[in-house]
Amino acid sequence: MTDNGFRRRDFFKVLAAGGAATAVAACADPPEKLIPYLVPPSNIEFTPGVPVEYATTCAECPAACGMVIKTREARAIKAEGNPDHPVNRGTLCIRGQSSLQTLYNPARIASAMRRQAEAWQAVTWADAEAAFLAALQGVMERKRIALITDSAMGSRGEFLDKWLAGLGASPKVVLDTLGQNAIKAAGQMVFSRAEIPQYRIDQAQLLVNFGSDFLETWLSPVRQNREFAAMHAVDDKAARKGKFVHIGPHVSLTGANADEWLNIAPGSEAEVALGLAREVFEANRRKIPGVEAGELERVLQPFGIERAAGHSGIDAERLKALAKAIASAEPSLVLAGGTPAATGNAAGLQVAVNLLNYVAGNLGKTVVFGANQRIDPSSPHADVLALINRMRNGEIDLLIVDGANPLYALPPAAGMAEALGKVKTVVSLSSAWDETTHAAHLVLPGLTFLERWGDAFPQTGVYGLMQPVMAPVFPVKAAEDTLLSVAATLGMAGLKETPTYQDYLKAAWAKVQSQTGQRGDFAAFWRTALQNGGVFQQVTFSGSVRLNLRGLEVPAAPPAFEGEGLVLLPTASLRHRDGRGANKPWLQEIPDPISQVVWGSWADINPETAKRLGIRHGERIKVSSPYGEVETAAYLHYGVHPDVIAIPMGQGHSRSGRHADDVGVNVMTLLPAHTDAAGGDLALLATRVAVKGTGQQAQLVQTDGSPRQMDRGIIQSMTLAQVAKGEPPAAAHGGEHGEGAARRNFFYPQREQTPGYYDPYRWGMTVDSDRCTGCSACVAACYAENNVPVVGRERVALGREMSWIRVERFLEGAGDSYRTLVQPMFCQHCENAGCEPVCPVYATYHNPEGLNAQIYNRCVGTRYCSNNCAYKVRRFNWFEYLHDAPLHLQLNPDVTVRSKGVMEKCTMCVQRITRAKDKARSEGRIVHDGEITPACVQTCPTSALTFGNLRDPGSEVSRKAQREEGAHRVRQYEVLADLQNRPAVTYLRKVTLEDGHKEA
Amino acid sequence: MSSVTYADVNADMLRTLVRPKPAYYLLLVGFVIAFGIGALSWAIQIDVGLGLSGISHPVGWGVYITNFVFWIGIGHAGTLISAVFFLTRAPWRAPVYRAAEAMTVFAVMTAGLFPLIHVGRVWLAYWLIPYPNQRMLWVNFKSPLLWDVFAVSTYLTISVTFFVVGLVPDLAAMRDNAKGIRKLIYWQLALGWNNSYQQWLHYARGYLLLAALATPLVFSVHSIVSWDFAMSLIPGWHTTIFAPYFVAGAIFSGLAMVLTICIPLRTVFGLEKYITHHVMQSLAKVILFTSIIVGYAYTTEFFIAYYSGVPYERGLFYFRPFGEIGDGSPFFHKGDFGVPNFAFWIMVFCNVISPLPLWRFKIRNNVIALFIISVLINVGMWFERFNIVVSSLQRDFNPANWGSYHPTIVEFGITLGSFGMFFTLFTAFIRAMPSMAIAEVKEGLEPPRRNPAAHH
Repeated sequence: MTDNGFRRRDFFKVLAAGGAATAVAACADPPEKLIPYLVPPSNIEFTPGVPVEYATTCAECPAACGMVIKTREARAIKAEGNPDHPVNRGTLCIRGQSSLQTLYNPARIASAMRRQAEAWQAVTWADAEAAFLAALQGVMERKRIALITDSAMGSRGEFLDKWLAGLGASPKVVLDTLGQNAIKAAGQMVFSRAEIPQYRIDQAQLLVNFGSDFLETWLSPVRQNREFAAMHAVDDKAARKGKFVHIGPHVSLTGANADEWLNIAPGSEAEVALGLAREVFEANRRKIPGVEAGELERVLQPFGIERAAGHSGIDAERLKALAKAIASAEPSLVLAGGTPAATGNAAGLQVAVNLLNYVAGNLGKTVVFGANQRIDPSSPHADVLALINRMRNGEIDLLIVDGANPLYALPPAAGMAEALGKVKTVVSLSSAWDETTHAAHLVLPGLTFLERWGDAFPQTGVYGLMQPVMAPVFPVKAAEDTLLSVAATLGMAGLKETPTYQDYLKAAWAKVQSQTGQRGDFAAFWRTALQNGGVFQQVTFSGSVRLNLRGLEVPAAPPAFEGEGLVLLPTASLRHRDGRGANKPWLQEIPDPISQVVWGSWADINPETAKRLGIRHGERIKVSSPYGEVETAAYLHYGVHPDVIAIPMGQGHSRSGRHADDVGVNVMTLLPAHTDAAGGDLALLATRVAVKGTGQQAQLVQTDGSPRQMDRGIIQSMTLAQVAKGEPPAAAHGGEHGEGAARRNFFYPQREQTPGYYDPYRWGMTVDSDRCTGCSACVAACYAENNVPVVGRERVALGREMSWIRVERFLEGAGDSYRTLVQPMFCQHCENAGCEPVCPVYATYHNPEGLNAQIYNRCVGTRYCSNNCAYKVRRFNWFEYLHDAPLHLQLNPDVTVRSKGVMEKCTMCVQRITRAKDKARSEGRIVHDGEITPACVQTCPTSALTFGNLRDPGSEVSRKAQREEGAHRVRQYEVLADLQNRPAVTYLRKVTLEDGHKEA
Repeated sequence: MSSVTYADVNADMLRTLVRPKPAYYLLLVGFVIAFGIGALSWAIQIDVGLGLSGISHPVGWGVYITNFVFWIGIGHAGTLISAVFFLTRAPWRAPVYRAAEAMTVFAVMTAGLFPLIHVGRVWLAYWLIPYPNQRMLWVNFKSPLLWDVFAVSTYLTISVTFFVVGLVPDLAAMRDNAKGIRKLIYWQLALGWNNSYQQWLHYARGYLLLAALATPLVFSVHSIVSWDFAMSLIPGWHTTIFAPYFVAGAIFSGLAMVLTICIPLRTVFGLEKYITHHVMQSLAKVILFTSIIVGYAYTTEFFIAYYSGVPYERGLFYFRPFGEIGDGSPFFHKGDFGVPNFAFWIMVFCNVISPLPLWRFKIRNNVIALFIISVLINVGMWFERFNIVVSSLQRDFNPANWGSYHPTIVEFGITLGSFGMFFTLFTAFIRAMPSMAIAEVKEGLEPPRRNPAAHH
């Protein structure tokens, strides 16, 4: 044994030393004292196997939802909504769910870096900070220092201002290409209130939406999803539901949820809104005070329905009917926003919508000023362009880039690339590599919002706190702390006494304490705030605003579009928003719910237009504007105006990490850098593009098998009249072959009569298709909770995506009156399952609680179960799927990571069931209704999903499912009930206002 | 065969066993290389994962299961000829049954590999065998896949037994003529056969019993294989017609393979005297008969799909021949045609149309025509299984799940390897064993007389 030169004792020495080194490295002191969510501080140190939760605030978009991060063994493993938070009430959207991949992003920068020519070199933090300091001190004229950031959320904006002022530098620029400045500008013009009012969607009887994607990215999508469901989903008892009319040249997820779609010409929104306003004004004139009426008369005088019809291409009668509905609704709500509204006249549209809301009597009812949705403010686009101009003129010597990615996000026509080249030193404080950081000279990487301190004030009375939920993944420093460290060295007045951003925040929150009228010890207040995720107050708003139209000129004329061809509409992406989420594998792999496209870009083209241009679905097309050219896939979509081509934003990165780079195209490269002068936002709808087919097939990966459901009743719908009568649709598949019929015809004894089964639990779910908007948050939640691997574009193209839950989408009808149906589909946990009897080794079996259990260890991989599953919800591990470091840190230790060659599928989050049962058992009881929420149910912003015990007649799921024999079922059905698989999941039919069932 | 004598038989048979021409080795090397490609492909697939195949979601079974059913089908002719035709006293079986039996054994061996090739974790495939174990785990007797395990292993056992028993008298003949190591091997395999009256008496009874035992297997094995599909609820699989349809198809393809193999064999080794036109005519008639059954089954499937009114069945049976039904929209095209649609039409042409000329005596008597038709039938029967396996999975209940399937190079490699393995074994067999049953062929001849002329 000694011959090989390595003795047993040596081995132990090395082992011990190595082990100790590893242990010491892992035990490095966390930089902060972490206060867990609702757990006494004496329990801060975790118990292995027991999750610890921390409340924080989501910074994935400016909406600032409250979050609770579940950590295990000091690693964040799951993001959930904070149930106490008034904005999102415990739910999250797809991007919020994916925030863990911001934290564990493979493109994160692990240490300070300095660029030598084209090569990046890691440098020590001290050296980097010294270099940063030297760079700052090297700029004699401090005005020649500028900072561009992507977030001024909460106290951060003020902090950056203070820091820059202390330095004497130029004011900060907050970059968001999806800014909301126009709403504020219009509020100022019409009501002298420069704020974003609270839109109370849930209070509206009629919702009219000019283009905004309020279920996807606009303002506060999670809240809006919830409120939309409250307004739009059927109330079974009263057989009542609100109506949603979508007006705009494009249908994305939001428009797909509409009851009616007015396919107007691009840019004609303001005309239509003013035409409607005029008509509603005429109808409601009596109710409007004289002075205001006079003003309105003057302002609205030039407009009218006929004129609106002329501009929009919509029949005047239809617009009249809509105006009548708006006038008579109690109340209605008109929204405008999103990219279709982001024309050079965005403010004009907002003014028009304000007027329309005013004449419809919605002010104070559904449009409430004073609540002040403080969506993270972004700088007017003119400021961004001014900064670029200064850079280009050599007036900036040092640019600090803090999270923003202007090189990617801005149209190249804005000249950022050239301008950046003129800046002597570019210092990036971003946490991950992106195009702009690659162009920097020095990187002092920041931390993600899950590792640092911060706050957000999404609306009056709501103060959200952000705290580190775990020790930083990489030994780097929060951008705020880097800036404070510099401030201390420079002896910056007002900041040099503040050692860390946490201290700064505490000082800021002392003010919050007094504002919210909470007395007593600050330390106690602070701790409670941290535990709860902030301070949430019920504030009542006076809400009264006065119309102020003096001298108002309404610029209604449809904006001009440059060039020839189709109008280019960049659309905000549900998954990547403006491109921030592009390097998160989950967001690439989860299909866009409407197009069902993954890992790439596409261009929505109206089939008529495509026919005219001779373009096929899936063909590679050249889209060229005066500013640039891209090649992408043609996607034939009824939901787009024939004069429009719509390309989603957020793809086409070049240096943002391997999951984002070279995926799709960046639509911004086609745009001019125009600004809406009155509103202040970037004009996204500004140019026409030439579209040419190439004859080649594009790489377009869609996960839908067929756009049509072939009358098979997968997603069923019925009319409101039928709900009122309490009659299920006669022709529906569930009708004659439904649960009741299946039971009568069933030959074998039921499981519930079999000893050992379903006592006391039979787990089941309901899916309310009328509530489901298709937002796909459930899919992301499932990926996060269940360690579902991401497989990449090529494999998804072969149908090998691993998602346990998917949002199915079917189209009905054709042309402008087409309809989109969406619904989540996952393992139905059938009582009489197809998968169970065919497995030769009992790797899948029916467990006593009604779960269709899958035993990975036992599976040999015949795939017969998947073949025989009518719902095709089983997923096979075709390869050994790896989770790129450091993404693997997110893996949920409660769930097996599956290996090559085994089948997997939805377990209804059996790990959560087991945990709750353990708890109940130790307390000597059975599990309460609502104690268990699978990840998908937990995050659903519209509460479309319910989970519970079907054997408990009082449980919510039982009440919704109406499964017992002879129950009166109206909306309930089981998918493919005629196969008698007897699923444990009951679906509730979507409800339409009219009989819109058209199958082409 | 009246002109053929016992001596001719001995000489002709032994000629196939002496040192062959270089062409033989060339052929053998080719088959071994094909086999090697298959083995390598499989090894890589085991290492990297089943994802190397084109099988995916929703098409969880593809070329591998197609090959499995195909080879099992090929494996039916041997037992049919040796057992069923033995019991029904069809004397023309004698010259071809040995080759057919060998074909059966090798085909079932090849087929038996495919379930292993297609499972995700082949290293655990022994879990499909119910053996006592300390983990208290048992197999699921409800699963048709488990029935398959029993059906195929039983069939292999019986076929091998039948094959070996049939060989014994001939092996003894070989033993008597061989030298050196060969003699030792033949001596072992001949089990002490000494051609005594007693031995022949027992042998004949034993052979009869084995034939009776094997006969039900001809029908049961492929019925069970068909239940792999019929027991599921997938449209296009879930049908009661499958068992007879599969058995007829198996006999059809098996006999075609017998022709495909025997026609070159007879030409190369000059066995025209034994494998006569009469033998081939008889085979062709059975092929024609089973072709009609198979054609009838195809038609019935369509009729039932229509008559049942089940939308899933109707949808699938529209899709198989015609492609997408379409909806008039520009993204869901009517008549979009894919691999399974081509598979369907290849199947119809090869299995229903191409055997029709066999109605004519002239065609049945034409060796080249027979050979071409038999090869076409083999191709057609492969595509029949492909069509059943793949197209049904492509278009099942929920249109959101619909998908497609494109075999990959690994699947081609493994399929090639399966042919390589089969033909390697068969080619080696021709050299090592008498490919015609000497004893039985002699039974059909006039016994040798001291003075044949005096008789007339």
